[in-house]
Amino acid sequence: MQTCPECQSSLSTPLVCLDCHALLPQTPGQTPSPFDALGVELGWRVEGKALKKQLLKLSRAVHPDFFATADEATRNRAEDASALLNSAFETLKDDFKRADWLVKVLGGPSDSEERQMPRAFLMQVMEWNEVLDDARSAAQGSAEWNAVAELESELATEREARFSAIAKQLDPLPAKGAGDLAPVRQELNAVRYIDRTQAEVKQLKLQATLGPKS
Amino acid sequence: MAYSDKVLDHYNKPRNVGSLDKSSTKVGTGVVGAPECGDVMKLQIEVEGDVIVDAKFKTFGCGSAIASSSLATEWIKGKTLDEAIAIQNTQIVEELSLPPVKIHCSVLAEDAIKSAVADFKTKQKGKEA
Repeated sequence: MQTCPECQSSLSTPLVCLDCHALLPQTPGQTPSPFDALGVELGWRVEGKALKKQLLKLSRAVHPDFFATADEATRNRAEDASALLNSAFETLKDDFKRADWLVKVLGGPSDSEERQMPRAFLMQVMEWNEVLDDARSAAQGSAEWNAVAELESELATEREARFSAIAKQLDPLPAKGAGDLAPVRQELNAVRYIDRTQAEVKQLKLQATLGPKS
Repeated sequence: MAYSDKVLDHYNKPRNVGSLDKSSTKVGTGVVGAPECGDVMKLQIEVEGDVIVDAKFKTFGCGSAIASSSLATEWIKGKTLDEAIAIQNTQIVEELSLPPVKIHCSVLAEDAIKSAVADFKTKQKGKEA
């Protein structure tokens, strides 16, 4: 655990000391990880409420308004720390972004490096898209439209299953370079396809509520 | 970013959209996807001897992905299997003037051809066995 260079209290984040309120200098090019920045334990599991609490507590401590009359370097530090806390929160609260970040940091493959998906899965994605295509040219209340409702619940179930599989592989977190992370990347790629299809479903339903195209 | 005229032409009038009977032994089905954007592409070939006599595609994705697969089906019709798998994505990029951010669409089309040919060959082996 690091200590504050000003008051020697132990630090829960490298950004600011919560005891003496000193904004701490950062080494250029060495951005604290989202977990370090928010002072939460590195791992797959994060507790949403605790995360939000940390964000609010730390954001208050580094808020640029409190440093409005300070020198320029300090004001910049406050701005940078605020931005970093926000982006760290965005990364950690979202299951996809958090898993993506963990896979990268643990030395796993990127989405383009692990691009092959099982043929059966891609066929399934084709079928999902065909369901949507059929509904686009059919009247509401028709069988084609009912199929979209089924598709929606199928996608939700599938997405959940993918994240359970990811959780199994990332919790407990494998040591850096130890576990094979390609399967996790594959699950994440699958989630991408699922998300894209879900977005299409959403758009289709939105268009339906706006009425028929003239 | 503006699409080139050739991309727009293929996008507005895609050639060879549709499906072939995937259970036929004369038909090879390739299916590929781009994890970066969630695009998915199915390309099918019908083969007589070792010549591709028909090709169909169905692509769910952006304009460049549709244009790349449309162009791919046009190019492979009448070609032998070996000629078809020799097609490089760079040729598609050149023909359609794809910008760097859309190069993966052409890669997808190249992979789809290879995947379809591989599926056809697997089926032929299955027949012999």
